[in-house]
Amino acid sequence: MTVEMDRRTALQMLALAAGSTALAGSVTDAFAAGDAATIGWPSDVPSWDPNRRFTPDAQPIYKLVFDQPIDQDPKLKLVPKLLTKWQLAPDGLSLDVELRDDVTFHNGDKMTADDFRYTFFERIKAGHQVDTKNSWRKVKDIEVQSPTKARMVFSSPAPTAPQWLAFLGSYIVSKKYFESVGPEAAAQKPVGTGPYKLADYQLNSRIVLERNDAYWGPKPKIKRITFEIIKDPSARVAAVQSGQIDLTINVPVREVARLNKEPSLAAELNPMTRIILLQCRNDLGFADDNVRLAAHHAIDKAALSKAFYGGAAVPLSVVATPGTAAYLPDFKFAYDPKLATELLKKSGFGPSKPATIKFASTNGHFPSDFDIARAIQQMWKKVGIEAEIETIEYAKYFELNRGSKLPEATLYSWDNATGDPEIFAGYLLSPKLPFSAWKGAEVGEKMAPLFNIADYDKRIAGWRDLNKFVIEKGATIPLLQSVQTVVRKKTLSYVKYENGWILADHMSWT
Amino acid sequence: MSAILLLVVRRAAVSVVILAVVSALLFCMLRLLPVDAAAMSMPPTATIAEIEAKRQEMGLDLPLPQQYAIWLGHALHGDFGTSIHFRRSVVSLVAATLPATIELALCAMVIASILGIGGGLLLFHMRGRWGLDQILDTSSIVLLSIPEFLWALFFILVFGVMFEALPFTGRLSPEFQLPVVTGFLLLDTLLVGRLDMFWDAVKHMLLPAFALGIAFSPTIMRVLRSSLLDVYQEDYIHQARLRGQPERRILLRHGLKNAILPTLSLMGVQFGFLFGGTLLVEVIYSYPGLGNLMVDAVRNADLPIIQAVGLAYCVVVLIINTVVDACYVVLNPRLRVA
Repeated sequence: MTVEMDRRTALQMLALAAGSTALAGSVTDAFAAGDAATIGWPSDVPSWDPNRRFTPDAQPIYKLVFDQPIDQDPKLKLVPKLLTKWQLAPDGLSLDVELRDDVTFHNGDKMTADDFRYTFFERIKAGHQVDTKNSWRKVKDIEVQSPTKARMVFSSPAPTAPQWLAFLGSYIVSKKYFESVGPEAAAQKPVGTGPYKLADYQLNSRIVLERNDAYWGPKPKIKRITFEIIKDPSARVAAVQSGQIDLTINVPVREVARLNKEPSLAAELNPMTRIILLQCRNDLGFADDNVRLAAHHAIDKAALSKAFYGGAAVPLSVVATPGTAAYLPDFKFAYDPKLATELLKKSGFGPSKPATIKFASTNGHFPSDFDIARAIQQMWKKVGIEAEIETIEYAKYFELNRGSKLPEATLYSWDNATGDPEIFAGYLLSPKLPFSAWKGAEVGEKMAPLFNIADYDKRIAGWRDLNKFVIEKGATIPLLQSVQTVVRKKTLSYVKYENGWILADHMSWT
Repeated sequence: MSAILLLVVRRAAVSVVILAVVSALLFCMLRLLPVDAAAMSMPPTATIAEIEAKRQEMGLDLPLPQQYAIWLGHALHGDFGTSIHFRRSVVSLVAATLPATIELALCAMVIASILGIGGGLLLFHMRGRWGLDQILDTSSIVLLSIPEFLWALFFILVFGVMFEALPFTGRLSPEFQLPVVTGFLLLDTLLVGRLDMFWDAVKHMLLPAFALGIAFSPTIMRVLRSSLLDVYQEDYIHQARLRGQPERRILLRHGLKNAILPTLSLMGVQFGFLFGGTLLVEVIYSYPGLGNLMVDAVRNADLPIIQAVGLAYCVVVLIINTVVDACYVVLNPRLRVA
């Protein structure tokens, strides 16, 4: 049997085939260019249970799907979000909150104070494997007074409870949903109250979010956001340069100037509330105050900023970033190698008889970390401090610290999206917490009362005083305010947050 | 057929022993690393008492042989533990990523085989032709010395950035929703009848598969050329020539058929290295496979994942080597005698 086909029929069939292909293409391209944006992100979320793990890089993604009780504006001031009001008791032992009454979860369930209680108390008590168990360990109970009112009761004063309600892991989840499907299933199919819903998720590859048109707050301008998880910095650079993504962060600093020359791209270095510092021991080679202070005076922080961050990283003299409450703009710890030499001489050290210490640094944990360590090593050598560098993994830091096995100095990076001094100097230097290499009693004794002062102004004054004290003591050596690199298409605008948040619900195409 | 079945059964029995030894070695090595798995599973604000309690809960305070016995007991029931970083079952994470890596490795192996066998035949064909022989020989050595991650970066630069011809992140473009049937994307897109998605998946696969394939093809090329040189010393080649058969027929029908056997064995071994090579390539191409998962696990000291992924690599390599040996038996009748 043969099929006879004339030229006209063949052309008609070809046209039909071409049209079908085009139609298939247009069906899948459901979003016009201005309705969607693709962001290259350096890491995946560890879980879609936002209370489960404290991962700073995941917060800008969580904030799109979930809401926090309290939010921060671009200048990091606390502003209402799911809470309309909050009031810390004068003794810091309770926090009264009022919630919005017009919020629904993505599955239509209304959010109430029961969900607030469930998130910050019940699920912790139920033994869920969540990191919020530690941040909210002071919560003794949450009294639900009405569907929109509750009181958090603490076992000891919690002056930074409001800050923590805007910080890591503090996202309200649905009690009804979690109890009906269980925490594991809830983490697979997340239901939040946020401006976006999760449309598609591919582990270590892609996150697709679609606008929640029933959102209680301002609707985002961009309907669909895709996060491409691109872990390799070079691949992120290539992706933004080729136009495969519209915005990315954390590209190598040296690429910023080059990418800024691309006609369609804008590349920026934005300072953020992340500190690069040296954690110091108070014993071994750093037992002598003179040696520690000399080590600090010997470091040319401006030179480090110029060499590794294009001059954009601000040199710091205290453990706080400019613009935050306990920052001391008038307090400067001088770069003075001559003074450093004199201090070392007082203790019998000098270039011919150097003080010897060990110095740990990560390599690749944050941009230019190991290069900074090597530069500091050279600066110290000139004044008479011989430092032997050892490379450690970030994960190793806590283990070494717990066993008191950290060396005299460790290069460290600390993120604090709230900007609050308790989470800067308080956490970094408290001998009771696992971050501080300094175990001296004088810092701990001066610091301890500050954790319990409920009065904000009094608390901040105390931290400012402590910030100066720890530097003059040589308990820590702050180096630089870190910068975040952002590369984007010029037509995509975003809001700069001082803590480095890049929030897609604040983006728009111009 | 019975020879092949016997081979598979013997291999399966030996594989069980190999897996047991590998799992024990891996387990001990990971536990001897200076990493505190209990501390890693807690937030940084955890107290020492909380970490100690967690350590006891995880059984890390027990003697090593007892820890291994507990782990083995769970593993035999399909429970490889919970990821420290993701706080999710390790089996679900490996199951979500393994098909992607197998698919990439198989595509890369096909490319390596085509380039390797084609290149080997060309090298052999050009032997003795002064100039051309040297050029091709040197080229194969140069290709041999370029590692797969360098090819990966080079392809991104040329095809991704310079010519913007091919995508280089992920498995599929953002406008498509990943069909989940078998986990093998090329197959799944055909199963759901989406040719447009299939071509998109092919485009995403091209660069990473080529980067791997081109890196492993020179070895195949050179071994095949060497085998052909040996085979062409045999009498049956001279006899075929005396019978007036064209050179092309002699090469393909007699030469290649016999020379392919050692090449095939090599390809089985190469697959193991290629499978391991997916790790870096997956990171560079943001390809969501086992390698990407492993890199995260190493960074986070996620021991349960490292253990499971290590075993997964071992299982895949054992299976591939068994398949290759079975093919060897099929192609070499002398091995079919039980």
